[in-house]
Amino acid sequence: MHRYVLSAMVRFENVGMRYGAGPEVLRDVTFVLEAGSFTFLTGLSGAGKTTLLKLINMTEPPSRGLVTLFGQDLSITKRADFPALRRRIGVVFQDFRLLSHLSAFDNVALPLRLAGRKENEYVQDVEELLSWVGLGDRMQARPATLSGGEQQRIAIARAVVARPDLLIADEPTGNVDPEIGQRLMRLFAELNRLGTTVLIATHDRALIEGMRAREMRLVDGRLVELRTGRAA
Amino acid sequence: MIAANAILPRDKGAAPLDLVIGVMAFLAALALGASLIADRTALGWRAGLSDRLTVQIVPPTHKMGLDEEVDVALGVLRATPGIAHAAPLTQDQTLNLVQPWIGKDALVADLPLPRLIDATITPGAEVDLAALSRTLKQVAPDSLLDDHARWIARLKGLADAITWSAYGILLLIAIATAAAVSFATRAGLQAHHEMVELLHQMGAQSGFIARAFERHYFVSALVAASVGAVLAAAFYLGAGALEFAGVEAVPFLPPLALKFSEVPWLLAVPAVSGIIALATARLSVLAALRKIY
Ligand SMILES: Nc1ncnc2c1ncn2[C@@H]1O[C@H](COP(=O)(O)OP(=O)(O)OP(=O)(O)O)[C@@H](O)[C@H]1O
Ligand SMILES: [Mg+2]
Repeated sequence: MHRYVLSAMVRFENVGMRYGAGPEVLRDVTFVLEAGSFTFLTGLSGAGKTTLLKLINMTEPPSRGLVTLFGQDLSITKRADFPALRRRIGVVFQDFRLLSHLSAFDNVALPLRLAGRKENEYVQDVEELLSWVGLGDRMQARPATLSGGEQQRIAIARAVVARPDLLIADEPTGNVDPEIGQRLMRLFAELNRLGTTVLIATHDRALIEGMRAREMRLVDGRLVELRTGRAA
Repeated sequence: MIAANAILPRDKGAAPLDLVIGVMAFLAALALGASLIADRTALGWRAGLSDRLTVQIVPPTHKMGLDEEVDVALGVLRATPGIAHAAPLTQDQTLNLVQPWIGKDALVADLPLPRLIDATITPGAEVDLAALSRTLKQVAPDSLLDDHARWIARLKGLADAITWSAYGILLLIAIATAAAVSFATRAGLQAHHEMVELLHQMGAQSGFIARAFERHYFVSALVAASVGAVLAAAFYLGAGALEFAGVEAVPFLPPLALKFSEVPWLLAVPAVSGIIALATARLSVLAALRKIY
C-alpha cells in the first residue's frame, strides 16, 4: 500500500470542480496516474477534459476533494513550494499559449531558462527537438508567422524539452495531419519510455486505437474507466 | 536567474509613457534647480547685508555742525569692538545714490543732503546694536543707525517664500512624476499579463518574474528621466552662459543659473524616478501573482 502511494504521480480523490457559482463541471472524480504510465483522457466537447488537466497542472485549485501531485497533497503544500512542483510538469495547452514576441527557438528554450540552464548547454537539444517536430528550418520564426499546426508543434516541443516527470497534453494533435500526428505520438511514447508519466486529452480515435494505452472517459463530469492499458 | 530581461519584449507601446516620464522629470529638475537657486540667493542676500551698518546723519536741527556730528559718530564707531571698518561716503557717492530718484542738476547740489557712514562688522563678531544706537544718539543727536534689519527681514521673507514655493512645486511634480511612472508601469504589466500567467504556470518563481519587470521599468524610467534632467541642466547652464555673456534675464532678480557644483543634485530626479518605477513594477507583479493560484 505504501509503495503504491509513492509511485502515484497524480492522485484524485472525490474531486469536484465548479467555476465561480456555476454548475459542477467535475463530480466525484477519483483516479490515480502511476509513475511511468501513459493515459488518454477522452470525452465530448465540454465534458471537462481541460478543466481536469487544469487541476493537475496547478492552474486552478479544486472546489472540493483531494489532489495529490508527486506524493504531495496540494491542499497542505506551501505556496512557496508550488513553482518547484510546476517545473516538473510539461504542459501542452489546447490554445498553445506561445509568447508572441519570442522566436520558435526561444519559446521552446523557455522552460530550460526558467530552470537556470545556460544557453550554450541547451542550444543543440532545442535545435534537435525542433528538427524532430519538423520545424528545423523555422527556428527563428515568430509564432504569428506560423500555421496552427506548426504552432502546436512548438507548444509540444516546449512541453517536452525539459524532460518533465509529468506531461499533460490537451488535444496535442488537433491541428496536424495524421502523419505528423503519428510522429508526435512517437515523441510522447519515447518520452514515456524514458520515464515521463503522460496524460493526453484527445478526440482522435485513430490515435487512441494505435496505442495500447489506458483510456479514461469523462461523461457528465464523472470519470469512466474504459481501458486499463498495457496490462490488459 | 539568467536572461530574465531576454524574456520580456522590447516595449514599443510604452514610448508615449516614456515621454510623459521625461517631461515630468524635466519639470521636476527645473523645480529642484529653482529651489537650489532660491536657497543660495537667500543665503547670499542675508550674508551680504547682515554684516553691514549704515549711520545716517540728517542735517542738524541741534547746535552741532553736520561735519562735527559725522566726526564724533565716526569716532564712536571706530572705538566700538566688532566694527571692522567705518568710513563716511563722499558728497559724490551720496549724490550718486539719490540720483535715480531726484536727478542730477545744480539744484540738487544745494539740497541739504544727509551724510552717510558705511560700516562693516567683523564677521562673527557680536555687536550690541541697541547700545551702539543709544551711544550714537547721545554724542551725535541727529544720527540714525540703520542695521538693515527690516530690509533683511523682508528679503528673508521673500527668499523663504520663493524657497518654499519651489519646494511645494517640487513636491507636486514629484507626486505627479511618481503617479506617471507607476501608471506607465501598471499599463505595461497589463499588456503582459498573459506572459506573467504563463511564466507563473511554468514554475517561474514570483521573484524571478518581478525582477524581469522591475529591471525593465527601472531602466526605461531611468533613461527617460535622465533625458529630462539633462535638458533641465542644459537650461540652467545655458542661462549661466548667457549671463556670463552679459545678457541679464530679469534685472534685479538673481540669475537663473545653477553652479556646476549644484548640477549633480539634478541626478536625484532620474534616480528617484527609477526607484519609483522599480518599486511599482515589483509590487504590482507580486500583487498580481498572489491573486492567481
Ligand atoms: N473559465 C471558465 N469559467 C466558467 N466556465 C468554464 C470555464 N472553463 C470551462 N468552463 C465550463 O466548464 C465545462 C467544461 O469545459 P472544458 O473546457 O473543461 O471542456 P473540454 O472537455 O476541455 O471541452 P473541449 O473538448 O471542447 O476542449 C464547459 O461547460 C465550460 O463551459
Ligand atoms: Mg478542452
